[in-house]
Amino acid sequence: MREFKIAQPRTADELAALLAETKEPVAMMAGGTDLIDELKSGVATVGLVADLQAVAGLAGIVPEKDGLRIGAMTRIVDLAEDAAVARDYPSLRQAALSLATPQLRNVGTVGGNLCQRPRCWYYRDPQVVCRKKGGFNCYAFQGRNKYHAIFGGGSCYIVYPSDLAPALISLGAKATIGTAKGDKVVPLEQFYALPEIDVGRENILDKGQFLKNVRVPAPKAGQKAAYVKLKERGTWDFALVSAAVAGVVQGGVFAEISVVLGGVAPIPWRLRKAEDALRGKPVSEALIRQAVDEALKDASPLRENGYKADLVFAALKEAVLAAAA
Amino acid sequence: MNAKDYMAEARGQAAKPQGPVKAAAAKPAAPPPEAKAPEYRHIGKPTRRIDGREVVTGRAAYTQDIKLRDMLIGKILRSPHAAAEVLSIDLAPALALPGVFAALKLAESKVRYAGQQVAAVAAVDERTAEKALSRINVEYKTLPYVVDWEKARDASAPQVRDGKGNVEKFNEYSRGDVEKGFAEADVVVERTYRTAFEIHNPAETHGSVAYWEGDHLVVYDSTQNVHGVRDGLARALKVPAANVTVIKKYMGGGFGSKLGLNEQTVAAANLARETRRPVKILLSRRDNAVCVGYRPSSLQTYKVGAKKDGSLTAFSLVNYASGGVGAGDEVSEPVVDIYKCPNCKVEEFTVFTNTGASRATRAPGHTQGALGLEGVMDELAAALDMDPLELRKKNYSTRNLGDTGLPYSTKGLDTCYELGAKAIGWERRNRKPGDGSGPVRRGIGVATSIWFGAGVPGTLADVVLYPDMSVEVVCGTQDLGTGTRTHMAVVAAETLGLEPKDITVKLGNSDYPWAPLSGGSLTTPSVAPAVRDAALKAVDRLKAVAAARLKVAADDVAMGDRKFFAKSAPEKTVAFADVYRDLRRETPFHGERTGYPGDAYAFNTFGAHFAEVEVNVETGRIRVLRYAAAHDSGQIINKLTAESQVVGAVTQGLSAGLFEERVMDDTTGNPVNPNLRDYKIATSLDIPEITPIFVDVVDTRLNNLGAKGLGEPPRIPSSAAIANAVYNAIGVHVREIPMTPQRVLAALKRKGAGS
Repeated sequence: MREFKIAQPRTADELAALLAETKEPVAMMAGGTDLIDELKSGVATVGLVADLQAVAGLAGIVPEKDGLRIGAMTRIVDLAEDAAVARDYPSLRQAALSLATPQLRNVGTVGGNLCQRPRCWYYRDPQVVCRKKGGFNCYAFQGRNKYHAIFGGGSCYIVYPSDLAPALISLGAKATIGTAKGDKVVPLEQFYALPEIDVGRENILDKGQFLKNVRVPAPKAGQKAAYVKLKERGTWDFALVSAAVAGVVQGGVFAEISVVLGGVAPIPWRLRKAEDALRGKPVSEALIRQAVDEALKDASPLRENGYKADLVFAALKEAVLAAAA
Repeated sequence: MNAKDYMAEARGQAAKPQGPVKAAAAKPAAPPPEAKAPEYRHIGKPTRRIDGREVVTGRAAYTQDIKLRDMLIGKILRSPHAAAEVLSIDLAPALALPGVFAALKLAESKVRYAGQQVAAVAAVDERTAEKALSRINVEYKTLPYVVDWEKARDASAPQVRDGKGNVEKFNEYSRGDVEKGFAEADVVVERTYRTAFEIHNPAETHGSVAYWEGDHLVVYDSTQNVHGVRDGLARALKVPAANVTVIKKYMGGGFGSKLGLNEQTVAAANLARETRRPVKILLSRRDNAVCVGYRPSSLQTYKVGAKKDGSLTAFSLVNYASGGVGAGDEVSEPVVDIYKCPNCKVEEFTVFTNTGASRATRAPGHTQGALGLEGVMDELAAALDMDPLELRKKNYSTRNLGDTGLPYSTKGLDTCYELGAKAIGWERRNRKPGDGSGPVRRGIGVATSIWFGAGVPGTLADVVLYPDMSVEVVCGTQDLGTGTRTHMAVVAAETLGLEPKDITVKLGNSDYPWAPLSGGSLTTPSVAPAVRDAALKAVDRLKAVAAARLKVAADDVAMGDRKFFAKSAPEKTVAFADVYRDLRRETPFHGERTGYPGDAYAFNTFGAHFAEVEVNVETGRIRVLRYAAAHDSGQIINKLTAESQVVGAVTQGLSAGLFEERVMDDTTGNPVNPNLRDYKIATSLDIPEITPIFVDVVDTRLNNLGAKGLGEPPRIPSSAAIANAVYNAIGVHVREIPMTPQRVLAALKRKGAGS
């Protein structure tokens, strides 16, 4: 483990100023469940760790007139146990409960989950300098890639690991980004960026910026949603493929629908072609098959991850049928 | 320890101590001396672990917890390259660092796998030691390597060993005439099964703390073999074995990865000798994946022939196994032994690669072999349109080597089949594999286990009686977390008419009386009879002392309710306390585990496992719903820890069957999952209800308790039973473990394509 300094700002402004001023590579620590591991293994090499624990106003779930504001430092367990979330956003609750283990959910935070680094085993190997870490090659491309991306790869085949983001994006959430010059709000979908934008990071946070909260709009009349996570073992497992579906159902037909996948691409992957195929038609297994086949035309599987195409259908079928029910 | 040496130990073929090992007379004509379990007060009953409170409250000191005054921390530098010449090692920059006390070169001219030791340092603390490692300059000349064991079979692959090919035949066997046998068959089935590289991953990683008292070396070691490590250290450090003491009080598992002398133990002893201070070296979780062994892979092709009625006519097996720079495992013992079959031929090859050497892993070879053999038995049953259990019963043997060898002294496998089938509800299985419909299919499968477990003659144990009525049992065995400490107390308490909590158990020290390594399912059938023998001698002495007090003949004295009494006059009693006081000083009794007629009978353990699973044919996900595991391991000593063995082994088999696989990367020459995040082990949510069943066949020919080993038998069929249940559910055998969603979906496509 390399030596680093630690700072514990007390307010969001102090944090923004600290991030803007520091000359050293910096990591923000929310729950720390993953960052500590990255620091110990040497995968993360930073000069400064900004501990967000003491920053006022970053934790908590607050009802607003047009929805719910979820602070970045809200613990996953609090999100999973929140009454308003259970009532209005059951798919978000499902996603929170499917995530990691009770111990990790007790410590891990919403912001940490949304900003977590990829789990790619080459990226996580301190002996490997892959493209994401400033090297020349994506080792997964021709290497061992059963867990890697089937969509949106190219320069880097990581998959986006978080469970919360697909659910939140399907619900139309927005992200508030704190900066030294004030807050900036973007749709959560646009918070994430493909490796071709900047292979070194997974989102649009520039130096000096941090995720402050996410806002989920109030549910529409007839809104239905579901989150399905396919994994290898019963718990403590990232999604092989996950599917978040949300929309407005009228008489067995999705009048509006959004479909977002996890585990298949470097970012939460919006399946617009599937949405177009599913919108306005009576839901059936055949329609879902047709929608998935259409969406899978964009997939380019690697040597060991072709089975994820089958899982996209399985996950989407379960999620769409559950949401439409 | 490699699997070959290990199997020799397990079969009881390893060098046994010379001296007064008494063999019971062989009487080949006698009927099997099967006896119903005698009525015991403690033996075979559930006894809570006498050290359970210490363990769960964190007071038990494991090797990792040992802290000594002035102790230094040792760290080992390992090669990042899978093959390289080591041109030079410069330790000077590390030694120049304040707080660094010593540094050693460990690599010879070449490294042949990533993770091989290169150098070591001892420093005041972990950070300084780590920093020192980064200062060591090693000049490597990298060489071509191969880590993919299927590519290593290619003649053009880089040679792992200088001047020798990567493929070597390492076992063959033949009886009868297989060609004739296949010609006589009505049905012939040929199938290939694969098993993955499975890492032991004990909860406690390897570690050693070494210090010198003058010319005497003391080592706290996380080991399954205190005597073996003592002897190995004596050889490695060129000191008399009498000047080495190895201690292991508590241990968090080993599963075979801690059987022999470890490199880090030698390094700790050498660093301690150089610095004159205690040195502690702990290995990391990553080290566990690269340099302390794993279960080798296998690629087993079985051909089996049978008559329409199910009687087997011939078996052939060709196996390829890979154990990195070491040998793979022979997987053929189950096919050679268990089913009645006159003709059998085996050829086994090992494939060398540039990865660390494999080591014996809980039931080496048999576990892999069971997956293949039991798989092909089920596929044969389907081809014959026969109940898989009936097929096994049809070919039931009463002699080893496929009913052509020695008679089994006792064999309770038939009862295991009966009780296991009843517990799982065998009649609920699909009559034809894959009979169900819908996205979620259910199935039930069976698999058989055969293993050794007779124990080692010559094992010694002492029982020491004190005048204050305290009782000590001393044996140089070790408790891996399996409950040895408790079973020693149970046997002594049973024999002496006391309670297990009354007994002070001393183990885990090479200065204590000799016991074999704890592997091969040897510990209980070696140690328990030795303790029994010592305790029986103690009882004789106590009875003689009591007889003097009671003024009756010694053979008139009986024991009960913590009193001695005269059988001829039960009102004449003397309390235990008074008799023990009459001993006047502590009095040791030496016990020994005696021999058994291994040349006249085969002594084995048996088991039958039954699994019920649910398979989602869209997601490829398998859930194990229910499990029953029936075992013949002779007299059970402690029902609670015996059940723990079964539950643990089934869990491990489930985990290997569904999740566990070391994944090697060709480009880096390293594993990509040397951690517990990506190397997936079953979690509590994956484990079903497991029903252990013991059939209580007491083999009185084997030892004074009729006890056999149980550590490995329940591991052997546990992946296989699940694989066969999946076959019963979906109608296609996955034929490869772990059965991940990826492989289940691929198998279903194979079925769809009709092959």
